[in-house]
This record gives sequence, structure tokens and C-alpha cells, in this order.
Amino acid sequence: MTISGTRAYRPGLVDLASGQISREIFVSEDIYAQEQECVFARSWLFVGHESQIPNPGDFFVSRMGEESVILCRSRAGNVHVFLNSCRHRGMKVCRYDDGNTVVFTCPYHGWSYSTDGALVGVPYFREAYRTELDRSKMGLIEVAQLYSYKGSIWASWDPAAPPFLEYLGEFRRFLDLILDGWDGREGQAELLGGVQKWIIPCNWKFPAENFSGDTYHNISHRSVDLVGAGPSGRSRRDYSELNVARKLHVALPDRGHQTITYVLPKDHEPQPAYQNSPEVAEYFRHCEEERRKRPGINGRMIGAPGEIFPNTALLPRQPRTLAVWHPVSAHQTEVWRFFFVDRDAPRVVKNFLRDYYIRYSGPAGMTEQDDMENWSYAHAASRGVIARRHPYTYQMGMGHAVENYEWDGLKLPGRVIDLTRAVASEEPMRNLYHRWAQFMEANSWDELMTWRNQANAPGNAQAAQ
Amino acid sequence: MSDLINVRDLAVGRRLLLANGAEVEIVSNPQDGVWLFVRYCSSPPDPATVGEEEMIFAQDIIEVRP
Repeated sequence: MTISGTRAYRPGLVDLASGQISREIFVSEDIYAQEQECVFARSWLFVGHESQIPNPGDFFVSRMGEESVILCRSRAGNVHVFLNSCRHRGMKVCRYDDGNTVVFTCPYHGWSYSTDGALVGVPYFREAYRTELDRSKMGLIEVAQLYSYKGSIWASWDPAAPPFLEYLGEFRRFLDLILDGWDGREGQAELLGGVQKWIIPCNWKFPAENFSGDTYHNISHRSVDLVGAGPSGRSRRDYSELNVARKLHVALPDRGHQTITYVLPKDHEPQPAYQNSPEVAEYFRHCEEERRKRPGINGRMIGAPGEIFPNTALLPRQPRTLAVWHPVSAHQTEVWRFFFVDRDAPRVVKNFLRDYYIRYSGPAGMTEQDDMENWSYAHAASRGVIARRHPYTYQMGMGHAVENYEWDGLKLPGRVIDLTRAVASEEPMRNLYHRWAQFMEANSWDELMTWRNQANAPGNAQAAQ
Repeated sequence: MSDLINVRDLAVGRRLLLANGAEVEIVSNPQDGVWLFVRYCSSPPDPATVGEEEMIFAQDIIEVRP
């Protein structure tokens, strides 16, 4: 497979009919450059959490794609996301990770911006500029769209992108598993400690596809299972209820989001967990009971790794984190991992989870180390001229996904593969690259909002409402 | 020892003489080493600004009043 212009993604580079994807999409610097425009400048991207900026003047320097952005709460209390680049000569106006400020002052020539982005200070405005500069047009560049969902903050540079909840579609219920409290109350998550950041020598799509739902690579983590890093001292995690749950891949083709999820039978009772700490075990037993009393389907679902297109990974349970795969180059990815706990959890629970999270995830986490080794070596071994002639295969489970899946009274959206016996499939990866190719080929969001076209089709308008 | 004024060291309430002859009082210091929020106490070049608050640039300060 070779690149022949920008329209060669399907079926040339991403051939889902045969289940083959060219290594070029991982190692080509031309494709990487095009991704910045076609994928990252269009998508909704996760930038942070409101618990990071609780007070007026608080800021957190985040990233959107390759670019540095400032997430801040203005003195008036409103949340903003700005490009971290001075309008005069482009210098970063904020070089700290986080803090509280009245103004962002560029260290190069001294232009200064208030926390609502307005240009408020221009050295020698009267003398050098003779008051002729229109400061009202020179504020910090602000994202086109911003949305705070249960405390998580998302932004897009594209004014034509659909609203965030429409972009998320029915994947919302899976994101809720991270952002709601363990007991099911809405939006109870808070960030635990700082954000872990590190660089991996691989393309950003290696971790993105892995977190889309790669259950096939569990052999890589066997050493962690043997050590018993999990919260009950057994295995990696503490999932005894999985013995009675259905294990599923769920993929939303028109959105590009996908995940592993587990569905419990009706009337399932909480199982013992966290036996290494009686206080922690009691907290989660109570939460599990409360969760089951609440209306809705999430009381029966157990979150597992998933991916919100393009580069935000969720792991709702054990450890409870969001990760962002920031592209640095075709060959480097900067990972930012955010850890969450219930805001109202006792201190002993938060401390217990902190220890477990660090043991599991992040640059020092045992499981993440396994993954990083796989991704970095796979990337390096795919860059050579011979390697690039041979595509990867994504054939596992082709043709076995179903729509309108239902089990024991619980319905799930999208395309579903039951892994309870099959163990693994590559439906989530095919879904990710199908959507990725659509983004790379589309001229605008009009071509990407296929669900709106379907809703507008004759006979479907009423159903869409 | 430099004679330059380190604006980060200046507390709220200090009075400053500016290059244009105006005297101002600090109302807030953002600690960025570049700007100060001040109120005009006197302003020979533009008396109408007395009482107004403004951001001033570090290089416009010529003296910190005792």
C-alpha cells in the first residue's frame, strides 16, 4: 500500500474490507502533519477538570494536539481555554504548569492579558504605537467551543463541530462511569494530585488503539498479575464480579468512540473487594449498594478501557483515570494521565487509591510500563523500508459485531461483540481507524456528521426527534 | 548592586514616580515582574487621570517614593 494523495485513506491505507491497515499511518511524517489539521483541529479534546481551577484566577496549562493552551477561570468566574501564544510574536504567555494569576504577561516584549483573554497591557502603547493599535482585536486566541461536562472540560477549535454532547453521542454513559461517584451520584469525581506527564517514542495511535479495547494483549501483563498489584492483592485488578458478567466490545461507528464494558446480571449483589484494607472495602461495599439503588442502567455496567475519538482514553475503574495521547511528532507521544477519586471519599480511601494508581499506571506503573514497551518497540520496528511494505492485520472478529444488542433486559448502543467466550476482537480498532480515515478524507464537519444526514433522510426525521 | 527597581518587591500602597512625572500608588501587584496595577495620585501631564486605576509598565517607573 502506498500513499497516492490525500484521498487514499480508504481503501488504500485503511482497508477495513480485508482488515489491513498500512504502517504508513503510524510512521509517515506527511500523514502526521495532515492529522494535525484534519483530526486535532476539528475534534473535541479533553483539556482538564474543573477541580483543577476552583477559584477565580486559577489556571492549568494544558494541550490540544501539539499546541499549548491555558485553561483558566477568569476573575469573573468563567472558564476559558486560550492558545498559549502571544499575539505579538508568539511567545508563550504562561510557562508554569498551574497557579493563580491576575494577568498572563509575555516575557518577550511585555504584552499582558487578563484572565478573560483581553489584551490589557501594551508597553509604550501611547509612545510607540501612538494609541493606534486596536487592543480589542488582539486578545488571546480562544477556542471556538468549550463545554464542561460533569466537571470535565472539553474544547474544540472548530466552530462547525457539533456540540460536545452530540459529538459524544451514546458514549456518554461510559464517560459517566468515570465522572459520576462510585455510588452513582452525578459528577462526584475530583482530580487526585497532579497530572503525570511523560513521553513515549511511538505514534499516538498505538496507545489510542490499545485503549480502544485491546483485550488480546493481556499476556503482556502476566508479570503484573503474578506480582498481585491489584487492590485485593491478587492479579492486576479486583474484578471478582466479572465471573458472572457479560464482557463486551461496544463501538459507535458514526462517532469513533469505543470501549470494553462489562454488564452484570439483574439483581446482582456486590462482591467482596479491597480485602487488604477493611475501611476501603467497607467504603466500596456501601457505594456498590447505593449504585444499584439508583435508576438507570449504569448500576449494572462496569467500566473498562475505552477511547473517545481521537486521543482521550478512559479507564473508569481500577485505576480510575483519563489519559490524553498528545501528538508530539510522528514518532513521539506525550502522555498526560489524570487520576480521579470520589470527592467525598474518606482520606484513607483516597490514599489507598493513590498508592494503587501509581503502582498500576503512569511512567512508573507496572502495567503502563508493559504497554509502553510494546508500543515503542512496535513503532521502531515499523519504520524501516521493508517493514513499511507490510500492513498490520485487524481481522479478528470481522463480521461478528451485532447491532441492537440486548442482554438480560439491558440494551447497548452501536456495534457490539460479545467477548464472554470469544475473549477478544479487533472491532474497536477497526472502528477507530474507520473514523480516523473519515476525518482525514473529509473537507468539513458536514461530511462527518453522518447521523444528521440519516436523521434528515425521508422517513427518519420523526424518529430522530 | 543594580539600581533597577524589581517590581516584584513592591508592596501594595507604595508610591512611585513615573517617567511622565505622574505619581501613583500601587493597588495590586501580579508578581509577573513586568506590570503593576496603580491609582494615579497626581498627573501633571493629564490631571484628569487622578484617581483612575491603570496598569503601568516596569520600565516607566523611575523612583520608588520613600
